[in-house]
Amino acid sequence: MTGAHACWDEVRVRYPYAARDAVGPVSLGLAPGERLLLLGPSDSGKSTLLQTLTGLIPQSVPAAVSGSVTLNGVSVAAHPPSHWARTVSQLFQDAEQTLCGLSVEDEIAFALENEARPAADIGRRVAAAMASVGLPDNWRSRRISTLSGGERQMVALAATLAADAPIFVADEPTASLAPAVAARMIALLLGGDRLRTVLVVDHRLDGMIRHVDRVVVLDRDGAVLVQGPPGPVFRDHGDRLEDLGIWTPLVSRFDRALMRAGLAAPRPPAGNDDLISWLDGLRGADRHRAFRAVEPIARDALPAVNLRRGGPVARLEQACCAPLFGPVVLSGISLAVCSGEVLGILGANGAGKSTLGGSLAGLLRLRGGRRHGPAGGMAFQNPENQFTQASVRDEVRRASADDSARAVAEALEDWGLGEVAGRHPFELSQGQKRRLALATLTVSDRWPLLVLDEPTSGLDAASTRTVARHIRRLAAAGRALAVITHDLDFALKVCDRAAVLQAGAVSADAEPVQIFHQAGLLADAGLRAPEVLPMLDWVEGKRHRAGTDRC
Amino acid sequence: MLSGLHPLPKLLVCLAWIAASIVVFDLGFQLMTIALSSAALIVLERRSPLFVLLVMVPFALFGFGFLTTSILFRQESDFAVRMAAEQAFSSPAVSAGLVLFARAVACGMVSAVFGLTTDPGALVKALMIHWRLPPQIGFALFAAIQLVPDLGREAQQIRLARAMREGRLPRRIPGPAEAASLVVPLLAYAIRRAGRSAMAMEARGLSRNAPRTFLSAPRIGRGDWIFVLAATALLASCLTLIG
Repeated sequence: MTGAHACWDEVRVRYPYAARDAVGPVSLGLAPGERLLLLGPSDSGKSTLLQTLTGLIPQSVPAAVSGSVTLNGVSVAAHPPSHWARTVSQLFQDAEQTLCGLSVEDEIAFALENEARPAADIGRRVAAAMASVGLPDNWRSRRISTLSGGERQMVALAATLAADAPIFVADEPTASLAPAVAARMIALLLGGDRLRTVLVVDHRLDGMIRHVDRVVVLDRDGAVLVQGPPGPVFRDHGDRLEDLGIWTPLVSRFDRALMRAGLAAPRPPAGNDDLISWLDGLRGADRHRAFRAVEPIARDALPAVNLRRGGPVARLEQACCAPLFGPVVLSGISLAVCSGEVLGILGANGAGKSTLGGSLAGLLRLRGGRRHGPAGGMAFQNPENQFTQASVRDEVRRASADDSARAVAEALEDWGLGEVAGRHPFELSQGQKRRLALATLTVSDRWPLLVLDEPTSGLDAASTRTVARHIRRLAAAGRALAVITHDLDFALKVCDRAAVLQAGAVSADAEPVQIFHQAGLLADAGLRAPEVLPMLDWVEGKRHRAGTDRC
Repeated sequence: MLSGLHPLPKLLVCLAWIAASIVVFDLGFQLMTIALSSAALIVLERRSPLFVLLVMVPFALFGFGFLTTSILFRQESDFAVRMAAEQAFSSPAVSAGLVLFARAVACGMVSAVFGLTTDPGALVKALMIHWRLPPQIGFALFAAIQLVPDLGREAQQIRLARAMREGRLPRRIPGPAEAASLVVPLLAYAIRRAGRSAMAMEARGLSRNAPRTFLSAPRIGRGDWIFVLAATALLASCLTLIG
């Protein structure tokens, strides 16, 4: 494998019939061995930009592309996209939906077979890729259709690694993965040697930024807003990025708060451990000022106490839960959701979270046990499944308790859908579709219980904040909510209680903070503590010590 | 045992047997074909007799149509009636109907033997390697095979969402209106998914006319030749037996 470099020069992309460019103008270089993180709000054209790298746009997906894209000094337009497979490995968004081999081995060997490598060499590379990703060797002949979404994602990663191209491009590789698997994927993508050039789009930034050399941020119009090493970019431009709804690492929020308090660390911290070490080195008044600066952010990671918590709205009693026409995946489940309460449903990929959500909402027939309470509403993982109307406005109007034009317009604006009110729901971006699905559920007062399945998947920071705000608003209004999520920081922020699923049962049911402090429980369930937890502990420890000192 | 055979010789044998079933208008031959197919599944593939009977049901239903048509509209099936005149049944119409019925079941059972004992992946690979099926089409077939269960899951999610809006549990079997309403979203899903798969294949180097390796490709071995010879001999014996 040799070094390679990619270059976008004044690139603009406009899709047919679109009123504006999807991305551009972008001028960007990718040096050999560099690790670059591409950020931007929803619909800023990140995926589009990645697909121009090998000419998939415009050669396979029609679009008008101006400017030039080169790989190793050669225009990508000079060859078909398949020619560049030896130079660029791509892990697509929702990679599990792009698999084309019937078995795990077929899938991982696919790119190598296309290069007409000798079978023995392919066999060795397949074995190495499976080992590096942690796939057992006896999975070689396993059918792809028998794998869970997370397992498919890992197979897709193994297939991309096996291709061993000098440039590796990954579009939201961790979006649908449970935290432990996501951390392993980040380590595989960005850890280890620097023989490979990596370009990644993702929003799980906290585990990632210490491995990244440069961050490039696109603005809403798809132009480069800022670029540079991650520390300075987030320290100097973090507030602006947050205003644009772009994800920033949690550690940079603390860093900026300390900057505002006049207590900046000499170098921007790459992780919470760096930051806490530096904070622990502070003494006297500086330490107190630092506490004052970081405490509000740490506290903001927890939900506000809801005084309107009431009795159970829905309750499962020794329930055996199964997906529609599927086998039983959860047994002996006894769980209740109370009015005014937000219950988090946590677990690894394939643990049965969505099945439990559907059973709680009364949408899935139980195979055993009983369910008590009225039917609930559910926001499904694929938001498209909920749409039946011809326009965004009609979807909201049909669902709304108050279908007056003003109320509908307010709801649309509240969810950031005002500009696309007249469009067909299927034409929206993934983030907009998710917001619409959530809007249609939350504007209705029909369901006393709402189950939200991965409500933040594919959303930018601003939309995630909106979702969190609505969840807490609904809970404050007395609604019962169950939130299925892989984002444990989000779970910590919105949930009053969390149930952890493991091995077909509920392995823990307690306050999220209590659960997240049990490292063994989290590891067994394929979870990892939220990023904010160490800082929350630092703040609590400081407060406790201050209290002890006063005594 | 049949599952371990190379798909293409097996396919040729099955096609030869189906061709014989179509050409030979004889109840005895059709019954022998049904019996041999069933025996192959029960003895060689260790399938339960009940399972084999259940497999026969759709073909029997299809064949029943021939039977009733032959009895009720004998003028329209004059050729079959004349062919069946020598059969053992008193009415030529009944005889013709029975042969047509048995032929439908026989052809169906031979197809079932092939379908139930052949890995679709191995078949498509074999077609790409030996019969020059273009890899673009071969891998599109793989993607389509992958799509089927996902499409089913998608349909179930849509049905759940619709049921939620209507405030009821999803029906076990969707009614005509519900089934019709699933067509557009499922079509949209399938088209989008197909587009993404095609793009991913191209990005991973799949191209027209370029040489490619096939890992774990099925190979024709001695067992396959023995199977072909044995099946051919059996077919010839059956044909000889009925004269």
